[in-house]
Amino acid sequence: MNPDFHYYATYCAAILAGYSHEESQDIAHSDQFVDLCSATFLTIIKAPLSAATTQLQLELMDARTDIVGLQDITRIWSSFHFLPRDLSAEPKKPSSKKYRNKYRLICGPNGELVKSTVELAKGKGMQAVGVAMHVLADTWAHQYFAGTPSLVINNTNHYFYECFPDGSEKKIRFRHSVSAPDDLENSIYTASLYVSSENSIMNLGHGRAGHLPDYGFIRYKYLPAWDDYEEVVKDNPSDYKHAFCQMITAMKYLRGVNDSFECGQYDFDAISDIEEDIEAILGKRQVDASDDWKALGEKLSGQTITPFDIERYKEEYKNASSEDKDSTFLGRFILAALAQKSMVTNKIYTSGNKLAGYSVDYKKQGFRGIDDFRRLLAPEKEAKK
Amino acid sequence: MNRFQRLKDILIALILTAFGVTLILVPEEGYNDIILVLSLLIAVYGIRLLWYYITMSRHMVGGKSSLYHAVIVLDLALFTGSIATMNNFIILFYLLGIFAFGGVINVLRSLEAKRYGASWRFKFFSGVISVVFAIAMLVLGVVLGNNNILVYGFSISLFYSAAVRIYNAFRKTAIVYIQ
Repeated sequence: MNPDFHYYATYCAAILAGYSHEESQDIAHSDQFVDLCSATFLTIIKAPLSAATTQLQLELMDARTDIVGLQDITRIWSSFHFLPRDLSAEPKKPSSKKYRNKYRLICGPNGELVKSTVELAKGKGMQAVGVAMHVLADTWAHQYFAGTPSLVINNTNHYFYECFPDGSEKKIRFRHSVSAPDDLENSIYTASLYVSSENSIMNLGHGRAGHLPDYGFIRYKYLPAWDDYEEVVKDNPSDYKHAFCQMITAMKYLRGVNDSFECGQYDFDAISDIEEDIEAILGKRQVDASDDWKALGEKLSGQTITPFDIERYKEEYKNASSEDKDSTFLGRFILAALAQKSMVTNKIYTSGNKLAGYSVDYKKQGFRGIDDFRRLLAPEKEAKK
Repeated sequence: MNRFQRLKDILIALILTAFGVTLILVPEEGYNDIILVLSLLIAVYGIRLLWYYITMSRHMVGGKSSLYHAVIVLDLALFTGSIATMNNFIILFYLLGIFAFGGVINVLRSLEAKRYGASWRFKFFSGVISVVFAIAMLVLGVVLGNNNILVYGFSISLFYSAAVRIYNAFRKTAIVYIQ
């Protein structure tokens, strides 16, 4: 998904869930920031690098693909952008453990981890809500791809067609020029190169399908590498609408309106008055729907939405004393990111899958491992005091 | 990483170091050793590709391509092994090309990193050193006929790989989970 959905649509969903304009802006900012909080950014503000929620193209090009490097990549992309749907899923045919481990990281909505993600954000501030909404929304957009480099899961081939509302189809052509914009008129899109190495970063996530999963308007069909030559039809307008309504449900739970959050529940009632507006936005063939979502958001709240600015909270964090950093906007975002990464890594690890690395249960073994996560102990220490 | 993976990394690092030291002590036989090791490494890679097909890519749409890939790589391993007795200049030019190409790519990428405000100096200087090294190999190896520089260069790359493995073996990698 792109900033149009992660920022402006999230703002709309937050308003519909009952948050104030200011709270909704904070949630939207945190949601969009998940796509920008890279190691490079964290280095500049001198923050813990383990809190990275994404990797820039340049960082990925330099990323090592040995065991440790792959675990680092998998932790970031599986925790924030490709949340696995079912960590005990079985492929259609008998297969090796190595294959199964990759297969089980395939992203999809309404898995147990989505519920855990939303529950983890409860009571932890707007930043945690934003992180959770990003993860939830991406389970819809990025389904059928895994947040780990894998040719056998994430590859696609020449069988790729765009499906139009009138029932016609057009073969999609992919090119590999990063600088070339997608050509919607002729169905020519940019995708990552075919690289036959299983763990090449070219085979990470939906790179081989280009930005198609990130466009709200598009419907397409293709043969995913993992589904034994079964065709998958991806209906983004429908998926994005479900994501939007599920976000409202989740945020109503986080605000305390609903007692619990269950998967498969969508607050369609909340959008009954604006359903046509939403369908019009999602049906409009455009790369960036920010203006339309922004107009809808401003109509809903009666306030002007400030455009996203990555610099907004940077100085506040940099100028804060070391004791106060965790109380700043970015400090709270960092805590939410570390908690999410720690939780997802633990769930993957305890399912018997080591692709995201090793997890140590603090209650059983005390603190071990990467020091950056020590700051998650602060509430524990406060409670002891 | 688990304990076995850490031990494996340390063991491989020791083997790489030992091989590098041997090359430096007996550089005269270096060319043959390098080509034989190269051939062995390609063969291992080919076998791994074959294993990859059996355990992973046979499930994939279009997965047979990795079977063909494995066969071609194994063939290349045999070919590489067969040139061990041939002229040293063939090997020299091969390695020279790798160093020069890798160096230029590193320099270009460091300049791109600089544009994004990311760290760039290490990559830039390692790229420059690779290019300078390739030129030195060309001058000393081809013009002056001194082939030892290639062997020393190869040894340095072995030491570097060993150091990286040792570093990884002792790195903290676990993530704590607090409920």
